Amino acid sequence: MSAPVGVAEKAEKTPKEPLGSSVVFTLTLVLLVGLALFGRRIFAGAFTDETIRTWATMFVGVTVQALPFLVLGVLLSAALTAFVPASFFAKALPKHPALAVPVASASGVILPGCECASVPVSAALMARGVTPAAAIAFLLSAPAINPVVLASTAVAFPGQPKVVVARAVASMAISMIIGWLWLMTGKGGSWMRIPKNRHAEGTGKLEVFRSSMLHDFLHAGGFLVVGAAAAATLNVIVPRAWLDHVASNLLLSVLVLGLLAVLLAICSEADAFVAASLSQFSMTARLAFMVVGPIVDVKLIALQAGTFGPKFAIRFAPATFAIAILVSLGVGWWLL
Amino acid sequence: MVAVKRNVAGLVIVFVGAAVVQLAVSNTYLRYVKPGMRWMLLAAGIILIALAVADVLADTRKKDEHDHGLADDGHGHHGLPRAAWLLLIPIFALLVVDPPALGAAAAERQSPVASKPIQPKSNSWLADNPSGGPVQLPVRDYSVWAVWEKESMKGRSFELSGFVTPGKNGSWYITRMGLNCCVADATAFMVEARGQSTAPAKNQWVKVTGEWAEPTKRADGDVAALTVTSVSPIPTPANQYE
Repeated sequence: MSAPVGVAEKAEKTPKEPLGSSVVFTLTLVLLVGLALFGRRIFAGAFTDETIRTWATMFVGVTVQALPFLVLGVLLSAALTAFVPASFFAKALPKHPALAVPVASASGVILPGCECASVPVSAALMARGVTPAAAIAFLLSAPAINPVVLASTAVAFPGQPKVVVARAVASMAISMIIGWLWLMTGKGGSWMRIPKNRHAEGTGKLEVFRSSMLHDFLHAGGFLVVGAAAAATLNVIVPRAWLDHVASNLLLSVLVLGLLAVLLAICSEADAFVAASLSQFSMTARLAFMVVGPIVDVKLIALQAGTFGPKFAIRFAPATFAIAILVSLGVGWWLL
Repeated sequence: MVAVKRNVAGLVIVFVGAAVVQLAVSNTYLRYVKPGMRWMLLAAGIILIALAVADVLADTRKKDEHDHGLADDGHGHHGLPRAAWLLLIPIFALLVVDPPALGAAAAERQSPVASKPIQPKSNSWLADNPSGGPVQLPVRDYSVWAVWEKESMKGRSFELSGFVTPGKNGSWYITRMGLNCCVADATAFMVEARGQSTAPAKNQWVKVTGEWAEPTKRADGDVAALTVTSVSPIPTPANQYE
């Protein structure tokens, strides 16, 4: 684990002044090509420990799984920024922010992908003048209620359509509650670094598309790596066996499965299968697992910290977690 | 100068894209995600490479326009963001550590108990074909059926292939990891091998045949078992997960 971090540090220490940029380029190229050719020989015997190798597999696995969705997300967000005029959102969403929240929350249905895709898209929405409360509602609902996720939930819980309904209802409810809370408290704005519309009017649309996609990918990609490393570490550290001891207590089991969803950072298209396999737990606890996972997990916290600023992320994550647990308990009691 | 600096971003993105394409083309991706991800990885890698190429081309064009005062397009962000250097870590991991598919080390951390499926996959076809030699089954199915569908499994012989996970006191398990999405959610499916004096080497891939045996009772549930009659080493399959 220490060695990869060493590489990032080495890279960061390279000169930052403009004159050094061709040096940075050359050093990076030499480093990468050198690693590709001789990496395994140089470090032969350095990474033989089984725990480190298991960690590396998990880390690469989470990154590789999330990367295509992140690319999809930055592609869509760049397209929104470049090709959809800001006036479109003004027309499509109700004028009053309190009404815009539920509309934005429901339109989460159209973004097929997991949570990595929704962060850049909602940032692009804010940059296009959509009220932050509505963009936040979209951020929370899109990864949970899109058709791919609901279909995989239906497949994971065959013959139990109420699980699908409960998941959709709970996720929509949370996204609207958070959106309205944002409006009522009016505080969120001061913690959040609202993404600016970086693109001067007048430059070509393709140029805007290209540069915003590049920008978003470079930022979000780095934070995805942080999140994947955190998820891999927790995966290796947390033994699965301790789950069995808490399964019998409803409140405790809901909390524990909620926390597990945060720590494992499984993408929302697959978490239903994992929830289905946790059969020693009550339905409500498994609903909490599926409701919490798409809106708050270690990978997402890292991505949000990178996009909206760390001040926002450290407040947003516990708030969404608490509300998600309460809503899961309520919906579970009502529907399951 | 700006142009050269931006090309560092292009360079990093080209490497990330190339690594993803290489994973998809070489089947190495099967160590980390499910087979269905292949085309998505290919598409993502190609999009990233195209993005980097477009960036380099745009920079070259800008350099030409520099004298006409059009170089700064107002984007105000030309360097490689600090966070982006982190993208080199997974590349480093792939090139140097070359992470293997999950094996015995990961399986040992999980319980060998087969949890009861909510909607069990039917094994009724077994009862329809009572005669013949050992039935080939995925470890994933056997480990569940041997515990939860005992009646239909009793007295029959089966052929399983998986890797070896050592247990306590010289016992060992025929093991297969099951993926739902990626390795982060991998579940170990384990079948205790009985009737063999010595365990094969840890992580060795084997094909075993044997007869259903009464599951082992543990505090946290029952573990599927097989009375093994023959063990033969096999090469590691392309897709090591089930």
